[in-house]
Amino acid sequence: MKAERRADLLATLAQRRRALAKGWYKFSRNPLSVLGLVVLTIVVLAAILAPFITPYPEHARPYTNFKAASLPPSAAHFFGTDRIGRDIFSRVIFGYRFSLMIGAVVLGLSVPLGVVLGLIAGYRNGSLIEVVIMRITDIFLAVPPLVLALAITAMLTPNLTNQMMAIAMVFWPWYTRLVFAVASSLRNEFFVRDAELTGASRAHILFREILPNCFAPIMTKMTLDMGIVILLGASLSFIGLGVQPPKPGLGTMVAEGAKRLPGEWWSTIFPALAIVIVILAFNLVGDGIRDVFAVEEV
Amino acid sequence: MTPLTDSTLLSIDDLHVGFRVFEGFLDVLNGVSLELGEGERVGLVGETGCGKTTTVKSILRVLPTPPARITGGRILYRGKDILRLSRRAMRHLRRVELTAIFQDPLTSLNPVFTIGTQLRDVVRDSLAGSGTKLTHREVEARCVKALAETGMADPERIMGSYPIQLSGGMRQRVCIAEALSTTAQLLLADEPTTNLDVTIQDQILRKLDELVDEKNVTVLIITHSLGVVMDLTQRLYIMYAGTMVEEGKTQEVFAKPLHPYSQGLMQSVPRLTGEGVSEGIPGRIPNYLDPPSGCRFHPRCEHAMPVCEEHKPPMLEAGIDRRVACFLYGGE
Amino acid sequence: MLKYIGLRLAQSIFVLFGLSILIFFIARVMPGDPARQALGLLATQEQVERVREQMHLNDPFPVQYYYWLRSLLHGDLGISSYTHRAVTTDLAQYIPATLELILFATLISLIVGQVTGVLAGYFRNSWFDGASRLVSYLGIATPSFVVAILLLFIFSQLLKMAPGVGRIPIMMQPPPVRTGFMTIDGLLAGRPDVTLTALKHLILPAISLAVIHIAQEGRITRTSIVENMQKDYITVHQVHGIKTRRLVFKYLLKPSIIPTVTVMGLDFSFLMSNAFLVEIVYMWPGFSRYAVTAMLNKDLNAIVAVVLVIGLTFALVNLLVDIVITFLDPATRIRRKGG
Repeated sequence: MKAERRADLLATLAQRRRALAKGWYKFSRNPLSVLGLVVLTIVVLAAILAPFITPYPEHARPYTNFKAASLPPSAAHFFGTDRIGRDIFSRVIFGYRFSLMIGAVVLGLSVPLGVVLGLIAGYRNGSLIEVVIMRITDIFLAVPPLVLALAITAMLTPNLTNQMMAIAMVFWPWYTRLVFAVASSLRNEFFVRDAELTGASRAHILFREILPNCFAPIMTKMTLDMGIVILLGASLSFIGLGVQPPKPGLGTMVAEGAKRLPGEWWSTIFPALAIVIVILAFNLVGDGIRDVFAVEEV
Repeated sequence: MTPLTDSTLLSIDDLHVGFRVFEGFLDVLNGVSLELGEGERVGLVGETGCGKTTTVKSILRVLPTPPARITGGRILYRGKDILRLSRRAMRHLRRVELTAIFQDPLTSLNPVFTIGTQLRDVVRDSLAGSGTKLTHREVEARCVKALAETGMADPERIMGSYPIQLSGGMRQRVCIAEALSTTAQLLLADEPTTNLDVTIQDQILRKLDELVDEKNVTVLIITHSLGVVMDLTQRLYIMYAGTMVEEGKTQEVFAKPLHPYSQGLMQSVPRLTGEGVSEGIPGRIPNYLDPPSGCRFHPRCEHAMPVCEEHKPPMLEAGIDRRVACFLYGGE
Repeated sequence: MLKYIGLRLAQSIFVLFGLSILIFFIARVMPGDPARQALGLLATQEQVERVREQMHLNDPFPVQYYYWLRSLLHGDLGISSYTHRAVTTDLAQYIPATLELILFATLISLIVGQVTGVLAGYFRNSWFDGASRLVSYLGIATPSFVVAILLLFIFSQLLKMAPGVGRIPIMMQPPPVRTGFMTIDGLLAGRPDVTLTALKHLILPAISLAVIHIAQEGRITRTSIVENMQKDYITVHQVHGIKTRRLVFKYLLKPSIIPTVTVMGLDFSFLMSNAFLVEIVYMWPGFSRYAVTAMLNKDLNAIVAVVLVIGLTFALVNLLVDIVITFLDPATRIRRKGG
């Protein structure tokens, strides 16, 4: 008996390893996706190690040094300094921390919520609970995400936490819709009916039968959405409703620096480029992930 | 092998085509040769997966060339190697000389336009290719006539319909009408009735037979169904796993199949005379990633000899207008 | 078909109702005193209390909603606590500016985006395809405020090729407002110089808005074209002799733009929200800037009105897009006719 189970386990592991290897092969076909992954890794590592690798980590905290204010890019300050003397390069790296954190928290909250609601609604398609869930989803999706997130943040005190809450509130409906489409179409498939007949619990059906089928689109969407969430966060910060100064949010820095154009272009251009780079990296990786899950025809 | 008529229209000479995939290289077509004479009706028979459609697509040069690669051979149309033609010349060739019917009539018609729109454009443009200009009325008349010729009851209504509104049989008739209303000399019919209801297949085939006769078009019918070739073709090629294994006059091949695979095929057809259903040929079609060496059929062949594993059997003469690729008939 | 439209309209109204409840709820439940906000710090507590009564702020939530809804149905959206005017007046003033901008941006994105997409798809893997793919990756990854700032920086400030912020130069006398569209009003008032200047001022912000759409929709068109080029019916058409030009511009194009048009509806919402950012950068006196100001100042009536206007516009645009698709795609048309 035990030997059998071990053999089973080994077989599954081997299968998974093979699937991973094949996945990597597909992913690596596209050099851009690999580039995106490399850039992303660099960004993530930089953000994690920020206090250790930036030349002036203290500039991310409240700091002023008017003697070094408004300096153009140089060897001492790669991205120059802003008008109160803070090193922009260090602040940008710390800014990545905010961006990544926003992405992780927002998705970490909204994806599970959205997926669960979508599964329930899809599985109980036609019932009252489906109608309620989907109508609420419709309501949230009736307005562009930025506008709704803005409106919500505006009502609350603008800060990082509220910004994340607001974006999360705006994001879950997309996943509900996505999962609902898959779940409701699978609802009547044989494997679901079989599971019902053999008395599987509702949770089992939802999570072990239906959910794996949604895995591919959810993964792809999540990666691309990281970029979108970061974009939303930067936009909110730019308007002034996100990360508040003196914290080094990337959008906040762009807004502060924009007033200094064209003279001190570095205080806005570098944070702006930093935003583009991280979003681009997520998009490229997301494309790669989509390729991994794409069904190929011969 | 000399075709039954004087001039060779199409000649495929030792064609090798493969596909590059994750697992490696699929070596599909392994030296395919065939010849079509003008006015002939030739069949190409083989199981699903033996490379028939790849052959057709190679002739039309519509294989997607990233995964697919033509690694050798020539395809001569009226003596010119079309694999070497420029894209523009190939486009012209397709327009004027070649025509095709594919397996799935639904995907063969553009879903967002009416049948009439598509048919009118086909008539107008293909005739313009050979210099004829027609008025609207003439074009319309021809379209209606083409549809009527395929046996459709209400051609005007069909002209105004969308593909999605028609049944499979009707769609295939439309495809046939389109194919035959061009100036083409060569028709490649890839599984023309496979996707249709059994009850309709026969009708459509008969119609096709009639029309091809009338218009004197050379036809290459690709199918896995022996019944189809029996009725429609004069000559027959049998294909297995990317190689030609036998060719000859249809009736002769049916009467006396020479290659072990052909023999197996003929036996697999259920007979109405009640001898029971045979077991089919044991084994499976080979994996193109690692095809059998020598003769690709040898693992399944009950007459296999040591030489079959080592060398690929060439096409050997086995009578008048008859050839077999099998060492049983000589050639060592 | 009419039944379908009717159904969709009913759905939209229902959704808008729900939206109004949602946003109203958020507005009223959140911290901050709207009455105090409206009157300012110098008002006395009594004055504030009186205004609170007037605004029904002490009543239970459903009652507040009822009063608000009633006014809405009479065309009254309340008074803005920031501009101290009727919100409807504010909207009437600012919406046309944004509309003009959005229409211009849509025009640019359609022309540039679709043409590039078709060419890139048709000449797949050519240098043009590669280049446009690169550009579209960048376009999708760049937030519109970054694009706006970059364009302003490069073309207006560095190269001095384009004018700076605003709809028309500060010194210029604006024409009388008829449509609210600077370009049209200029012509109507017999002042083509205004129209010309207005157009020049429109270019940079419109491009800023259009970039992400050019990138996204162009790519979808390109993918669509590439996919459809491999479809059997294209091969069949080729083999049956249809001329290449007709093949591309008719038989390839029509099925390929269907996915793009589908996406355009959704993208329009992004267009509207990106207008928020672009208008800030270009100091465009439009609806979106008004909205942002309202939000920054907790101007509740304005915020609610803004959200509803956007929701309504989005719903209408979606409906429009759906109708267009019904015309383009026979499968959808037949399904909707019920036939």
